[in-house]
Amino acid sequence: MKDIVLPGEMVTETPIRASHTYIEDGKTYSMVLGMYQKEPLSIVPLEGTWVPHIEDTVVGIVSSVKNSVYEVDLKFFGRSLIIGGKFERFSFKLGDIVEATIKDVEEKKTIILSYPRLLSGGTLVSIKPAKIPRLIGRDNTMIRQISDSTGSTIVVGKNGIVWVNGGDVALATEVILRIQDEAHVSGLTERIKKMMETRMVK
Amino acid sequence: MASKANRPELIVHGKRLDGRALDELRPLKIEASVLKNADGSAYLEWGRNKVLAAVYGPMETQPKHMADPTRAIIKCRYAMAPFSSLEEHGRTGPNRRATEISKVTREVFENVVMLNEFPGSMINIFIEILQSDGGTRAAGITAASVALASAGIHMRDLVYAVSIGKVGEHLILDLNMLEDNYSDSDMPMAISPRNDNVLLLQMDGEYTKEELHKAMEMAKEAGKTISKIQKDALKHVYKKVAEKYESE
Repeated sequence: MKDIVLPGEMVTETPIRASHTYIEDGKTYSMVLGMYQKEPLSIVPLEGTWVPHIEDTVVGIVSSVKNSVYEVDLKFFGRSLIIGGKFERFSFKLGDIVEATIKDVEEKKTIILSYPRLLSGGTLVSIKPAKIPRLIGRDNTMIRQISDSTGSTIVVGKNGIVWVNGGDVALATEVILRIQDEAHVSGLTERIKKMMETRMVK
Repeated sequence: MASKANRPELIVHGKRLDGRALDELRPLKIEASVLKNADGSAYLEWGRNKVLAAVYGPMETQPKHMADPTRAIIKCRYAMAPFSSLEEHGRTGPNRRATEISKVTREVFENVVMLNEFPGSMINIFIEILQSDGGTRAAGITAASVALASAGIHMRDLVYAVSIGKVGEHLILDLNMLEDNYSDSDMPMAISPRNDNVLLLQMDGEYTKEELHKAMEMAKEAGKTISKIQKDALKHVYKKVAEKYESE
């Protein structure tokens, strides 16, 4: 298990720019509760809200429809919009589940979405956004493993909403929630693999 | 009413009424992430104080006109439960005292939270005093600090708070209700342990310059213990899960 670092703890005595750190008097300090790795310096937050970046895939629920502008609830403090134009026409209804890619983020809080896709049916699982990278895994390994063994279609939104459809939804949900709880403990991939094998036999 | 006329003997043979030494803290216990619905939370027991702190955010600013497009805003609500106290403090609803403590607590955290990370948003801090026995604003700040960290909010430091009082010529650490009411002076302070910046300093009564310096030293010394308990509380949440698998 890697070390846990807390806000205000010094991570290096030299000024190094890394995410979730700040530099003061030539020293680098952490500003979040996270897992810390010395070489190369990186801090992975254990908790916290999602910070939108361009190209992020998100899953949300259409919460308002005005002419060709759709507002999507991404469980984020800012607004997120799908704007239809002359060449792009969408017809979503209130309450539709959509998957989309972030085209632009204005002033760190207004999100413009593009390439929306309607997700019909399925179940939504809401998890902590900080655990999403672990759920996806390196090169999508973790999420592929889950969808392969349960036969479910899974769409992971970086905002913390996961859409699961078809196959063994109950098992897929259980695995997703387990990953949320144990993301920081090493050996997770093996444990999930073992769990899958024992559960699929039954 | 508390006055010098009916004051009990607060220090007997170098010990205080509850048997503590002059520079001894009451037993402190913190548990982080106790509430499921809140983004971050902490439960604290400090002597006979029982405090629950919860943090929500960063979230959409309500009311919207308060949103600041350059930085996040912090809202803080300190409240004593109606059953928390023996005397008048625990009245229901906000009162003058609660409003003041909410304000000073907010100002403590405005100095450590990285407000420019989430412009236009709002961070809500709720401090609920379930049982009070003196020094609740210090207990509230200590708990809220852990709650903020467990919500993953970007902060410069993990703040702690403690109070220092004066009885005769003796300085005493971490006052309880009786000492708070009858001592000559009472000074709660909130300190950022990384660089010992003082973020809150309120004072009832008076100190000489030397006493003030000595009080600061006492607070910093006690802060080492408090900081450690805060950090252990946060780490424990994650270590608990890890230990389950390491033992297998």
